[in-house]
Amino acid sequence: MNRSSLRPILLLCALTFATACGTARRGEPIIGDHEPPNEDVARGLVAFNTYCTTCHPGGEAGLGPALNNKPLPESAIKFQVRHGLGAMPAFPERVISKEDLDDISAYLIWLRHTP
Amino acid sequence: MRDAMQCDCLKHPPPHIVLKRAAVQVLLLAVLCGTLSGCYELSTSNGGAETRFTPPRQVDPSDIALPDGYRIEVVATGLTFPTGIAFNEHGGIYVTEAGYSYGEYFGTPRLLRLEPGGGTTIVAEGSNPPWNGLDYHAGSFFVAGGTVYPGQILRIDPDGLITVLANGLPSLGDHHTNGPLVSKDGWVYFGQGTATNSGVVGLDNYDFGWLKRHPGFHDVPCEDVILTGLNYTTSNPFTSLDDRISTGAFVPFGTPTESGQIIPGGIPCSGAIMRVRAEGGPLEVVAWGLRNPFALAWSPDGNLYATDNQYDERGSRPVFGTGDLLWRIEPGAWYGWPDYYGSIPFTGGFGVPDGATPYEQFRDGPDESPLQLLRDHPSEPPHPAAHLGVHSSSNGFDFSRNPAFGHEGQAFIAQFGDQAPEVGKVLAPVGFKVVRVDVDTGVIEDFAVNKGKTNGPASWLKAGGLERPIAVRFDPSGTALYIVDFGVMTVNDGQTTPYPGTGVIWKITRTGGAR
Repeated sequence: MNRSSLRPILLLCALTFATACGTARRGEPIIGDHEPPNEDVARGLVAFNTYCTTCHPGGEAGLGPALNNKPLPESAIKFQVRHGLGAMPAFPERVISKEDLDDISAYLIWLRHTP
Repeated sequence: MRDAMQCDCLKHPPPHIVLKRAAVQVLLLAVLCGTLSGCYELSTSNGGAETRFTPPRQVDPSDIALPDGYRIEVVATGLTFPTGIAFNEHGGIYVTEAGYSYGEYFGTPRLLRLEPGGGTTIVAEGSNPPWNGLDYHAGSFFVAGGTVYPGQILRIDPDGLITVLANGLPSLGDHHTNGPLVSKDGWVYFGQGTATNSGVVGLDNYDFGWLKRHPGFHDVPCEDVILTGLNYTTSNPFTSLDDRISTGAFVPFGTPTESGQIIPGGIPCSGAIMRVRAEGGPLEVVAWGLRNPFALAWSPDGNLYATDNQYDERGSRPVFGTGDLLWRIEPGAWYGWPDYYGSIPFTGGFGVPDGATPYEQFRDGPDESPLQLLRDHPSEPPHPAAHLGVHSSSNGFDFSRNPAFGHEGQAFIAQFGDQAPEVGKVLAPVGFKVVRVDVDTGVIEDFAVNKGKTNGPASWLKAGGLERPIAVRFDPSGTALYIVDFGVMTVNDGQTTPYPGTGVIWKITRTGGAR
């Protein structure tokens, strides 16, 4: 391992901390009306409310951490859902289907970038 | 030679440099993973009640955020633990004060009329707190009460005369008799919460206070159930901490059970929705297998819905990560308590085939998911209409019926907010707001929340907005949504502290804009 291999980790750490300092609040009273822009995101909204919102209400912190201010790429979102992390359980495909997970990822990435 | 040595050193650094770099990388990865996972295991709880409060309560509607086109105003302040609101046919506004709060506050439950200008007039006083919920039908008020004495359903005439419609309800434990709702044909529907968190009387109930008062109290099923015979060993607070004692499900503290043991069902029962005629009469079971059906409401299309507070991480059988539920109630159905969360069984969840690894969503830290208490289940529970936040205490609710207010057909739910860490740890305050729910899709959206970088009660934010919304109700015209705000209740150092005189009634109206 050399110093160049540290750079991506340092960069991701810095990005994580920088965005984690921003607010995760995305509710309608805070940011205004924000309708899903397409079918994938609309399905993701429903799936998120079925499987995720109990611990991450509206993508904010609750029982679990906030999601709306974490710069996770789609692949990392899916990895964490499938494998779990910390107190978060793993959600196997028999629980959240591949299609639902695709939609949840699309929804989370859209919600994160909604101003 | 020196350059060559440097080059060689970079390619093959000494062992102490390799170790140092590896340590830095491991540390950074740990920090990153910790940040992404929220460091759950390492973090202390950060619930909305974990704050210090000094009266008087600030009240400022400008600290509350609403969707565009709505405004909020204060109707009344200085109430002591209000729990319900109703309107008579003349536009009169009435509220109940509980006369009790978690934290072992005991006072006088009251029915009050709100006067123009924010004053109150006493209509009736009771002696069996808490009075939970309020409805008005055919010239009379209906309330539920009871925790020191068995639960009751009361009819209160406008002159203050109180008639007991149902008595001896099993409300002496963790959860009380809740939220009466009268149908057009004169049935009084109400919820009865369970005695315990998940079926087994334990030390959490002793800490709450009721096990000392009622050592023989326990849950009662509505129909006969057959036990698996699981027992849970704890210390015995009635003798000494060294004295070990074993307790099973649906039995008094210190009573072990056996596999195949039949627990007889009965009426009244725990964790159920029951009904009684508005003029009195025998009780009927509407639905059972619920945990704490706190409030009931009719949807515009005539279906009965119920909010149901879910399991906590406490006691002999803690359950992790179960958010409150909104159910559409099907007459006669069994809703899964104490062995399911929603339609998911605790062990082998989500339909895991025999022999496969159980899905451990509900594990409590390093412990396994709770094992099942019932050998056979009456049926498969229905699917919830919505999954709400874990520990949000999603309570009183009502449906929008008027397009002039907007969101017609959606449920507006008051979220009392978490009581962490007593009910389990949270990383941030949960609840303390009003949400709206599309009951066809289960999609939840904030409706009235406190402003700020993060969500939380006003006392936690040091601001003047919402504290603990416990009920909402539309006025008869459907153009104004009233919020019953219970007031301040903190949880610090294992002590729950409610603050009398901090309850507020809020009112939200539409000011314009398409919806």
